[in-house]
Amino acid sequence: MNLTYFTFFICIIVCTLIITYWAAKRSKTTNRFYTAAGSLTGFQNGLAISGDYISAASFLGVVGTIAINGYDGFLYSVGFLVSYLVVMFLIAEPVHHLGKYSLADVVCYRFNRNSIRSVMAFGTLLISFLYMIPQLVASGLLLRLLLNIDYSISVVVIGGLMTIYVVFGGMIATSWVQIVKTVVLLSGTFLLSLIVLSRFHWSPSAVMTEIIQQTPLREQFFIPGQLLNSPVELVSLQLALLLGTAGLPHILIRFFTVKNTKEVRRSLLSATWIIGIFYLITLVLGFGAIALIGYQKLVAADPTGNLAAPLMAKELGGDFLLAFISAIAFTTIVAVVAGLVISATTAFSHDIYHHIMKKGTTSEEDQLRAARWSALGIGLISTIFALRMENMNVTFLVSLTFTVAASSNFPVLLLTIYWKRFNQTGAIVGMVTGMIVSLACLILGPHIMNPNGGWITSKPLFPLYNPGIVAIPVGFFSAIIASLIFQKSSQSADEEMAPFFIKAQTGIDMRGKSM
Amino acid sequence: MEEQIRILMERKKKFLINSLIFLFVFYFGLPFSLTFFPEWMNRSTYFNGLTWGWIFAFAQIPMTWILGSVYAHKANDLDRLQEEMKQGGRM
Repeated sequence: MNLTYFTFFICIIVCTLIITYWAAKRSKTTNRFYTAAGSLTGFQNGLAISGDYISAASFLGVVGTIAINGYDGFLYSVGFLVSYLVVMFLIAEPVHHLGKYSLADVVCYRFNRNSIRSVMAFGTLLISFLYMIPQLVASGLLLRLLLNIDYSISVVVIGGLMTIYVVFGGMIATSWVQIVKTVVLLSGTFLLSLIVLSRFHWSPSAVMTEIIQQTPLREQFFIPGQLLNSPVELVSLQLALLLGTAGLPHILIRFFTVKNTKEVRRSLLSATWIIGIFYLITLVLGFGAIALIGYQKLVAADPTGNLAAPLMAKELGGDFLLAFISAIAFTTIVAVVAGLVISATTAFSHDIYHHIMKKGTTSEEDQLRAARWSALGIGLISTIFALRMENMNVTFLVSLTFTVAASSNFPVLLLTIYWKRFNQTGAIVGMVTGMIVSLACLILGPHIMNPNGGWITSKPLFPLYNPGIVAIPVGFFSAIIASLIFQKSSQSADEEMAPFFIKAQTGIDMRGKSM
Repeated sequence: MEEQIRILMERKKKFLINSLIFLFVFYFGLPFSLTFFPEWMNRSTYFNGLTWGWIFAFAQIPMTWILGSVYAHKANDLDRLQEEMKQGGRM
């Protein structure tokens, strides 16, 4: 590793550790540790949400997918962005009103049962690990390709950093690392896109002419159907992307970090602006990558196209720009995995340890200690898993996390918040069925069961790469049917539930407690 | 008091249902029209030869911003009404 790279990386590590040190002094209560005591402004939270959301898969993956597949790559970006409207319209404000620290709090505000809390906590842990481990694996491979560092060293560095941020700085450190990441990522990629456009004398048609020369798809590059050629796959993917975000625990717990619903809405508006602009930038970068580097070189470096952005940086600005873009990718990864560690930590220490094992009797000090130890444990476990999975192709798990979230967490949250006849059995059945079916479709599907290089070399039992169109309705229907079958006498229940719906929508507590 | 809150909640619900219907139609309109009207979507427009497919995909971005802003504006208004009601009713 030469001096330029080394300087950039040390710079980032030192900056984020200073943030953590500063945050550690402010994370002395559980409220501050889990939610930064609601102290973020809407705009700051919007930056943090973007930092939590834009993974290396979005940054490097989308640029690469656009460079290789053209139009269809951009459809991913569209889905990722529009999903925020579903979060804003249906989920964000009720989550803020009902929950305290975790998603389980939200559902348990209505059905206060340990069984439900455990299922919700398990769901959060599952989704967080499913999302975190592939990111760690991908980051190890990425740093190895970019900087020639040993795989295990890169994984240990990233795993170690994310753990340090959360153990010492809790949500405050996580949020500020994410805010810094968003600023660095957005400004860096914006700069890179300007350099790309200046190479083509600011003429979009010059870029398009060059792309047609460089891609084997020729004019087809600009026409849909290169990646998602079956309509069912297309709709299935779009459905999972649209509804998935509204079930991702690490995004939803960010709504506890602001003080009121006005700030929740401001967070989401800022996030949609930032994410929207970011995906426009990735489009320019994807086009630039194929036009400047050419298909052969892109695919030779990495068949998935993940190295498109770094390769282009090297082409445009030599080692210095490549070091800069690699540093941005590194920041992107640590910020996202730190967000996942804190969501998993909350599920374990707040839901499982405090509420279920200790029946809600632990002292403030104990809770904080448990939270820090859980964060350490979760960081260690995921790092160890990532170290052992070096030779497995796991990147596809990232996009499938959206399907799992959309078919388990999302239906249960939505029905809890809006449906009067929903009940505990429905919640548990919905969560469990949603998780099992989405995972089963994944395991039996062509990602894993594939005659050409799958983990299981045989014909897939389930035909779709994107199982959302099956798994999401199954999640909903199982929750609804179980609720209807195990319905108790409804008239009195309706009356009892009225205060819950008022609290969910307005935050006003009709039972006479504080807001 | 409870009655007034219910009225506000109804107003919000009505607005939300309309927005959601619009959102789903606009969003799923893209994959559906790509599937069912490919010739039409692949026809060039006057903008630099971009096809309708691109224009429709790009349009999703401002749609998100506009719909989000309209909702935030509306919800902030309702929040204010609710706040005034609470002051008046002294809950």
